[in-house]
Amino acid sequence: MQQRFPGYDVMSQAREWDPVTQAVVQARLGPRPALAFFTPPEEAVARPLMNRLLELDEGPAVPVLEGIDQRLATGQLDGYRQVGMPPAPEMWRRSLVALDEASRERCGREFALLDRDCQLLVLEGVRTGGDFGGMPGPEVFAAWLRFGCTELYSHPDIWNEIGFGGPAYPRGYKATSPGIREPWERADVAPAEDPVPIGARMEQARKRHLDGVAARAAK
Amino acid sequence: MAPVNRPRSVRDRNESAWLLPKDGRRCDPALVEGMRRFADDDVVDLVVVGCGAGGGVLTQRLARRGWRVVCLDAGPFWDPDRDWVSDEKGSHHIYWTDPRVIGGSDPVPLGSNNSGRGVGGGTVHYAGYTPRFHPSDFNTRTADGVGQDWPISYGDLRPYYEAMEEELPVAGQSWPWGDPHRYPQSPHPVGPNGQIVMRGAEQLGIDVRVGPVAIVNGGFGHRPHCIYRGFCLQGCKVNAKASTLVTHVPDALARGAEIRPDSMVTRIELDDAGRAAGVVYIREGVERFQRAAAVAVAGYAIETPRLLLNSATKRFPDGLCNNEDLVGRYVMVQGAPQVTGRFEEEVRMYKAPPPEVSSEQFYETDPTKDYARGFSIQTVSPLPITHAEHVAAEGHWGSVLREYMRDYVHWSTIGVLCELLPLPDNRVTLADEKDRFGLPVAHFDYSQCDNDRKLIEASEKVAVSILEAAGAQETLSIQRYAHLVGGARMGATPSEGVVDSNLRSFAVPNLYITDGSVLPTQGSANPALTIMALAARAADHLAASR
Repeated sequence: MQQRFPGYDVMSQAREWDPVTQAVVQARLGPRPALAFFTPPEEAVARPLMNRLLELDEGPAVPVLEGIDQRLATGQLDGYRQVGMPPAPEMWRRSLVALDEASRERCGREFALLDRDCQLLVLEGVRTGGDFGGMPGPEVFAAWLRFGCTELYSHPDIWNEIGFGGPAYPRGYKATSPGIREPWERADVAPAEDPVPIGARMEQARKRHLDGVAARAAK
Repeated sequence: MAPVNRPRSVRDRNESAWLLPKDGRRCDPALVEGMRRFADDDVVDLVVVGCGAGGGVLTQRLARRGWRVVCLDAGPFWDPDRDWVSDEKGSHHIYWTDPRVIGGSDPVPLGSNNSGRGVGGGTVHYAGYTPRFHPSDFNTRTADGVGQDWPISYGDLRPYYEAMEEELPVAGQSWPWGDPHRYPQSPHPVGPNGQIVMRGAEQLGIDVRVGPVAIVNGGFGHRPHCIYRGFCLQGCKVNAKASTLVTHVPDALARGAEIRPDSMVTRIELDDAGRAAGVVYIREGVERFQRAAAVAVAGYAIETPRLLLNSATKRFPDGLCNNEDLVGRYVMVQGAPQVTGRFEEEVRMYKAPPPEVSSEQFYETDPTKDYARGFSIQTVSPLPITHAEHVAAEGHWGSVLREYMRDYVHWSTIGVLCELLPLPDNRVTLADEKDRFGLPVAHFDYSQCDNDRKLIEASEKVAVSILEAAGAQETLSIQRYAHLVGGARMGATPSEGVVDSNLRSFAVPNLYITDGSVLPTQGSANPALTIMALAARAADHLAASR
């Protein structure tokens, strides 16, 4: 994977931020409490789930599951839930059990023991399927991804990956026109890399590949 | 012509901006800690439930008239320095996230999208767009055959719009749509996202204007100029964006109102004569009763109906003021699809406030279209977590999602607000589930009608065309909703509305509803300014009636 903003370090600007924001962002880089919500068997499913949903090996290590665990343990949740969906803590526990069941049914083993291809196949089945552990599969998939993205894209190491300027109080921004940057921001080294055709090719390749995996799994 | 600045007259009627500290702090602890306190047994002149756009303005207005007012808010009394951060994930606590159930064929997500918590309410996390409604909004039933006529006209609200625009204050170009008017502060310079949208609109001949935003341009009292940091939706740490926490609460406190935070109102109590006697609330785990000569509910479109339904009595077995089966009905949200476009140049839309430029060119019914009413166009600038939701909504995940997100600095985003119609079955009822106070939680059903779907589709096409005209290589669209109004609509008669044109409930003579839930229709304007104007108008009525 090509780095788009090599050498960019958003934390080099932390001294410009107000102390409350500094503390909140710094805490994401520091030690995390031990897991409090997920049981070990749940963790065994949830870790590879997050790795596949967000391909966490593609960039800097981010404690996504630890962040989700903290939110679930301390009740920092959206609050509302859709008819047919249980409250978030129960949704997580039930969906992890359902994921193992779907994995055994589709590929013969628990989710954590599947190879990457089979994991992708099972997840695509949840995303596009119907009932999943008594819940609508696409809703569960969207909730997993929403929780995961909140952790991933709030992490300063990932802000470096995407070139985001981060917090800006009290300093603010001065270079506020397209095509210009603050002195401390880095230029994208691959501005022509339009992700839409790239993503479409990746999706097509994934689909062809998974069709093959599905055919083998069916044998 | 130079914009008209009238700080002197504003200060004469609302001193809030001059009561904030001059020394760089965003809140004066002496004003908060030294506020007047009432006892539960004091029969205050008015108890207000909720200190958001409506409750904050009403409290300030009546405190100014010498009324003894207590305003109870379920959330904290914010200090922007201490409590807010320039960070998306770290702002979870400013949203109302108590349990709620959503249903219907088009369920509406709540939480961070539309539900505020604490003193200032939704004005803490709104973008800061403060357009007026158009004159046509007040009689859509007669003119367009849809929606509902209001029991008041635009002219009844105009002086209150003008007053609020001065007090917030609102910055923007002179406004050509609806009732043409000017704004008290000049338009802000436009950031990268706004420049792209203006470029596209100009290509297509679509008229867009800078503003109207309730963000200080140049200075106002002790509130500083905006620093263009881009975190308007996370609570303004600068005090540049108007929230009632800075625009009305300081003056209310200085004039002797009490704003009692962390106080969850659970019931409105009636006396034997059928008049409101006060409210039951829970503070620090203890149930209390605040006595009052009048009650005003301002808990917004979900919590106001919920409180009325939870306040059922023998006389009102289906919920207070619900004898006509109107409480909780006709809740509205605006269809708010967003379109994001990819540009080879770096846009970096996170710089400058998300609310920058807008257009109301498509606001009115266009007889050549197969739908009634219209939409407005506004810039929005999602931060990374929200932008990831756009990408995920396209069905992307894993490596593809990461690839899209690495490209974040190249995307520019535009939003629309569609006037979806008020429908009786889009309603708040009580669920079986209970919250930590033991109260049934709100169940909010929402389903679109044909007109809604046509309008959303048409508006999305216009948004796509603007970004394409600006040179976007690609566009992605996400379907979403914005704002919440209705649920206790005003009407000319008790069979038409829960409250009358002065926001007084038809069923209980000293019970008022002073928030967005009284709106019979919603236009395609952001509702905050209209809610504030209605509350200020109701305050005049209350003061005159005593």
